[in-house]
Amino acid sequence: MDSNLAAGLAMIGAIGPGIGLGIGFSKAMEALGRNPEAAGAIFVPYILGLALTEAIGIYCLVVSLILIFAGG
Amino acid sequence: MARFAWVALITLAAIGALALFITTPPAEGASLIHVAIGGEKLLTVGSFEVTNSMVGAVLASLLLLAAAWYISRRSALIPHRLQSLLELPVEWVAGIVEGSTSRWRGYVALVIGLFLMILVANWIGLLPGVGTIGLKETVDGHEVVVPIVRPAAADLNFTLGLAIITFVVFVWWGVRINGPVGYLKELVGEPRYMAPLMLPIHLISELSRLVSLSMRLFGNVFAGEVLIATMLALTTATFFVLPFALFVPAIFLGLELLFGAVQAIVFALLTMTYITMAIAEHDGGHEPEQERREDHPESDTHSAASPA
Repeated sequence: MDSNLAAGLAMIGAIGPGIGLGIGFSKAMEALGRNPEAAGAIFVPYILGLALTEAIGIYCLVVSLILIFAGG
Repeated sequence: MARFAWVALITLAAIGALALFITTPPAEGASLIHVAIGGEKLLTVGSFEVTNSMVGAVLASLLLLAAAWYISRRSALIPHRLQSLLELPVEWVAGIVEGSTSRWRGYVALVIGLFLMILVANWIGLLPGVGTIGLKETVDGHEVVVPIVRPAAADLNFTLGLAIITFVVFVWWGVRINGPVGYLKELVGEPRYMAPLMLPIHLISELSRLVSLSMRLFGNVFAGEVLIATMLALTTATFFVLPFALFVPAIFLGLELLFGAVQAIVFALLTMTYITMAIAEHDGGHEPEQERREDHPESDTHSAASPA
């Protein structure tokens, strides 16, 4: 019971990466709107940036999954 | 088209009627879903335990081997339909890697291999029957189904193994390009008197790549598994009230198709970027580098970002 509550609390940390992903995505779309020909050049840094931002949210997820499945 | 829609509706209704008979409400106290965080043991050969995620990984390897065997046997200069389908991802990833450094030929095979392996391993998890067909076993007093096949990336052992390969390769490239002394200098940092502070930071940042690579893939794929299992459990629980609720897990299956591909791209591109950073970290203008650039003038542009 306690570990389930802790797992829920751990997912509060997903707020930050959520905001960060939104900012990154909106900037990428702005860049695409300004210069549609640059879609190929934007793609790789965009995917990498989103992946690195998302990793922080995934850490929260892993912590809460460990708390649910392996915690006491 | 209309006939197809009727066939689909009748099939769906038949599946629903079947599900009515098969579905049994969970026993009192038992949880609605059962998802194990790691691979589960299927059988033991000597002291070697075969887990269901191993089955998934071997299945993905066999699929890729069969595709490679087919394409090497039957490839033609003018590709037929299946050949161009199989060549499409390879050419796409190779095109991206080509723009990274002038030495891209040294690691393009690793990047393509990682991409294809993770892609196939992820998409195997979406096939019907995977994760649902299994052996009945008794764990902690109540019966659970241990699936025979489990998507390989939903096991931390698989993703950590891939991340260790990536780690070894990019450290090897760094040592090879900069030399052992140059690599250590890179770890120590630029103002030499800051070394006691910077060395641990650099070491931790190198090692955190290992953790983040493996955890990202594992977390995404495992969360997808839990999501689909939860959605299936919820919709089978409400099946009597809302018969068409079976469409809901289908939406998430489509999403997982997208996420599986995205995570494969992310892992491959991060591998490429780490190797690119290890190569381009130190060369201001080595002689062989200059010569090679003249050979490939178009590969001068660095399309990869430099992540923190």
